[in-house]
Amino acid sequence: MTLAPAFVFYEFADRKEFCLHVTAQSPRRVMLVPPLFDEMNRMRKMMVDVMRSLHELEISSFLPDLPGTNESVIALEQVTLSDWQKAVQACAEQHQISYIASFRGGALTVADLPSANHWIFSPVKGATLMRTMLRTKIAADRESGLTTSLAELAARAENGPLELAGNIIGSELFAQLNAAEMTDMPSRRIVRLESDSKPSDGQIAGSALWLRAAPDDDLTMSTAIAQDIAGWMGQ
Amino acid sequence: MQNEVELTPDAAVRAVMRDILGLSEEQVAEFTAETELFGALPELDSMAVAGLLTELEDRLDIMIDDDEVDGELFETFGNLVAFAEMKVTG
Repeated sequence: MTLAPAFVFYEFADRKEFCLHVTAQSPRRVMLVPPLFDEMNRMRKMMVDVMRSLHELEISSFLPDLPGTNESVIALEQVTLSDWQKAVQACAEQHQISYIASFRGGALTVADLPSANHWIFSPVKGATLMRTMLRTKIAADRESGLTTSLAELAARAENGPLELAGNIIGSELFAQLNAAEMTDMPSRRIVRLESDSKPSDGQIAGSALWLRAAPDDDLTMSTAIAQDIAGWMGQ
Repeated sequence: MQNEVELTPDAAVRAVMRDILGLSEEQVAEFTAETELFGALPELDSMAVAGLLTELEDRLDIMIDDDEVDGELFETFGNLVAFAEMKVTG
């Protein structure tokens, strides 16, 4: 069967959100949960390459758009982390998916699926993601002659939406992300890059595409990711 | 679970530079203390620098105050490694 990527939908909060889908002729299906903010853009091509490789391994895959991202009808400013968690849960339920592969900050959005099987790639704390975005904002302000500090920006975020590296982030999302860490799941496999010294259940050769100045791909790495996911899912 | 391995500041800075710039291991192995960074490498914009600092904090388990960060830090690879070493040894 030829590869036929297509958009399907999932319903969340009376809206339809897009979900990229690749069908394989097999009952095996996995949902890929993307990284957050700029990391999502930088890794989008790699995520889709993983879907293509999964298709070759006869696994169907789903890549949902989180509410407030890509072509979602709701503005990011109005979205909370709880919304993302409920949306990911809704997508899994509506498409009957029990295998969830989340990438980077995507691992913070799978908390409402405790009984699913989780494969997690290079998880990151919400506070770490926010710190990078706050730093970018501080550097941009400095270039326009303004002096801002982390503490000042955090205080500002408590009282209203804050624009960070092109993303308008509401107070609740800011506060929830700052406190968010990957939750413990009964069935969990954590995979990291070979260059990452933190504890893991498996390692993959490649480089941190989420740090790249411009979006890039790495076919060896996306193939290795798909193979690891396939091995984890079993037959 | 595989155990955590200690990473030297030099190796951590090299690995992060490699990831940001999309270089091979061989290319990044050629970096010396005198290798120029900011100004010589257009990829190192403010967002890349923000990512670099956060990655170093994460990989070396250190905290970097934004007061400590100035243009000189990113002038050469050697400056950045020396800074990372100073943070690790406290």
